[in-house]
Amino acid sequence: MSQFEEMQQAIIDGKAPVVKELTEQALRDGVKPAEFFPKAIVPAMNEVGRRMRDCEFFIPEVLIAARAARAATDILRPLLVGDEASRSAGTVVCCTVKGDLHDIGKNIVAMMLESAGFRIVDLGVDASPEKIVQAVQEHKANLVAMSALLTTTMVNMKAGIAALASAGLRDHVKIMVGGAPVTENWARSIGADGYGKDAPTAVDLARSLVAN
Amino acid sequence: MTKEATYRVLLRPTEVELRAPAGTQLRDLLFEQGVEFPCGGQGRCRGCRVRVLAGAVEVNAAQRERLSEEELKNGWRLACQCRLTDDVVIELRQWDAAILVDESAFAFEPRLGLGVAVDLGTTTLVAQLLDLTTGHVMAVRTALNAQARYGADVMSRVGYAADKDHLLALAQLIRRQIGSLIDQLIFASKARRSDIRDVVLVGNTVMHHLFCGLDVEPLSHYPFEPQEGGLKTFGANDLGWNLEPGATIRFLPCLGGFVGSDVLAGVLATRLAESQEMGALVDLGTNGEIVVGNSARLLCASTAAGPAFEGARISMGMRAATGAISQVTVEDHHLDFRVLGNAAPQGLCGSGLVDAVAAGLDLEVIQPSGRFANGRKEWTLVPPVVLTQSDIRELQLAKGAIAAGFHILLDRLGASAGDVRKLYLAGAFGNYISHSSAQRIGLINLPVDKVNAAGNTALLGAKLALFSLDGEEGSYNGLLHKIEHVPLKADAKFQDVFVEELAFPEPSHVPS
Repeated sequence: MSQFEEMQQAIIDGKAPVVKELTEQALRDGVKPAEFFPKAIVPAMNEVGRRMRDCEFFIPEVLIAARAARAATDILRPLLVGDEASRSAGTVVCCTVKGDLHDIGKNIVAMMLESAGFRIVDLGVDASPEKIVQAVQEHKANLVAMSALLTTTMVNMKAGIAALASAGLRDHVKIMVGGAPVTENWARSIGADGYGKDAPTAVDLARSLVAN
Repeated sequence: MTKEATYRVLLRPTEVELRAPAGTQLRDLLFEQGVEFPCGGQGRCRGCRVRVLAGAVEVNAAQRERLSEEELKNGWRLACQCRLTDDVVIELRQWDAAILVDESAFAFEPRLGLGVAVDLGTTTLVAQLLDLTTGHVMAVRTALNAQARYGADVMSRVGYAADKDHLLALAQLIRRQIGSLIDQLIFASKARRSDIRDVVLVGNTVMHHLFCGLDVEPLSHYPFEPQEGGLKTFGANDLGWNLEPGATIRFLPCLGGFVGSDVLAGVLATRLAESQEMGALVDLGTNGEIVVGNSARLLCASTAAGPAFEGARISMGMRAATGAISQVTVEDHHLDFRVLGNAAPQGLCGSGLVDAVAAGLDLEVIQPSGRFANGRKEWTLVPPVVLTQSDIRELQLAKGAIAAGFHILLDRLGASAGDVRKLYLAGAFGNYISHSSAQRIGLINLPVDKVNAAGNTALLGAKLALFSLDGEEGSYNGLLHKIEHVPLKADAKFQDVFVEELAFPEPSHVPS
């Protein structure tokens, strides 16, 4: 097994200490920080996503794998220099909308986006439209990902989009939404750019939204 | 006897007449009439005993064990053990003097007149007419909540009622429905309308608001706290009910968040606040409710368990109706089933789902992580009923929510599961679920002998409240200040504990 294959397996198995060790070893062997993403982290998280979609992995396994991936990205991020640092896939403002405190799904999406190479600005839960606008301005985000788990709070996604529009930012960001009660139709009706039915889909969607 | 034969069942004292095919289990017939089966219909208790006044009803070994020679001779049977093989007239013991039979020190003064107790559930309604002098139940009526077509669970109903016109329409709908249930109680019992003095209603916070016509907006978002959750009192005219103008209708006060007077009534019924020993009350439903503590301190919480316990979002899930597998047991490495209504299996209801997963864990078809072993994608229980991987995931979400809530309340009390001396499982599902399966999947982390199926504690508490409406010691007013509501979602640890509780326990970790 190659170094990268070994690392992929350790991420999938959720072995954070092993991932950390392998990352440090590979760096000592002269592997460039930017190489880890396409060769180990992204393929590993793609596999985690596949297993999640096939119901093989459930929330605990996904969270543990994402934490293991983070053991690598925490080491690598500060080492990315110049070009490499700015060559991130994009900057995403993630949040659970106002009135809603569910954060597990949002955290999984954020961690998977992070391991797919996105820069994450996580606003946590109960995030007001004003907070979203402020974060987009401050971090020059090109993507906003909003989550809601209640039929009564998903209306606040609409409020978030309206706030971005009135701040003149709507054309500068793509907006994606998700969460148990959210549907493709709902996403379209509130003027979002896309709907991620699960975390792996959200990652694919994020990639295609920033590519356009 | 041909297979198509049907028999007549006349119930006393309600005078309800039913017809059902030969071989129908009495349990299924009576359950629909609001009869409860405290041990889950296992023949382990005597809670469902009935007296056969006419017609022949079999006696089996379980009944010989639980009933004396004398009782059997006098026509006593355990309803859960009987099938229909003749036209019968049956007297329902359970509705008779349920309060008086209780040898408790609960102080109640017999009162003149009649009272009505109503358990206003999100899905079902139960109303009982009581003779307040004797404590006898004179009539019972159950119905599906007519609001359900505007949202099956509390949140979707809150969403619908965000519109003021909808709110008023929902309030009208439920008031009319309960008014008509009361009319039916009067008709069935031939009671005098003018004798009804008091009506007590209990229900969760959303049901409280939707009955009283209160704005549900505060319940639609964090912090989910009612602004008007107190006792609401109405006159018959306010509600358009055909009762004496002097009759008083009370909707008992909410405890906080989504935890309403149904749980308050449950605490009253189980006397958790009177014991120095640590006790707990768990109502399993779409919104699971949990109370833990003792006479010194009681904490309560609600937790969104999702609809898995009701068979919803399960690929072959269904309500506890004819054709539902309600029980799965493992005998010598093969599965045995109980199907409701003596019919061919069509799907799984909540108790069957819990049993099936527990059986899968015992047979190592399912791993403690919840994943099928050996790359299996689904498990055929009995054709055509299949358990899928995502069904198991849905159950994990439901049980994780309840177990995490329980865990956090215990933490706040500085206690552990081992300190809990008695756990009451309330509600219809609590009646049917197998305690050992609930324990096997980690829904309850307590030895089985500490778990008691408590039946409809909301209704029992509402009945008890009818006898002590003026706030003396032991009544609901005294309890209000003893029970503290814990908003689980705002607890920083909740999400982590929830994720921890998603897995099923390893066999060595199931308490014995």
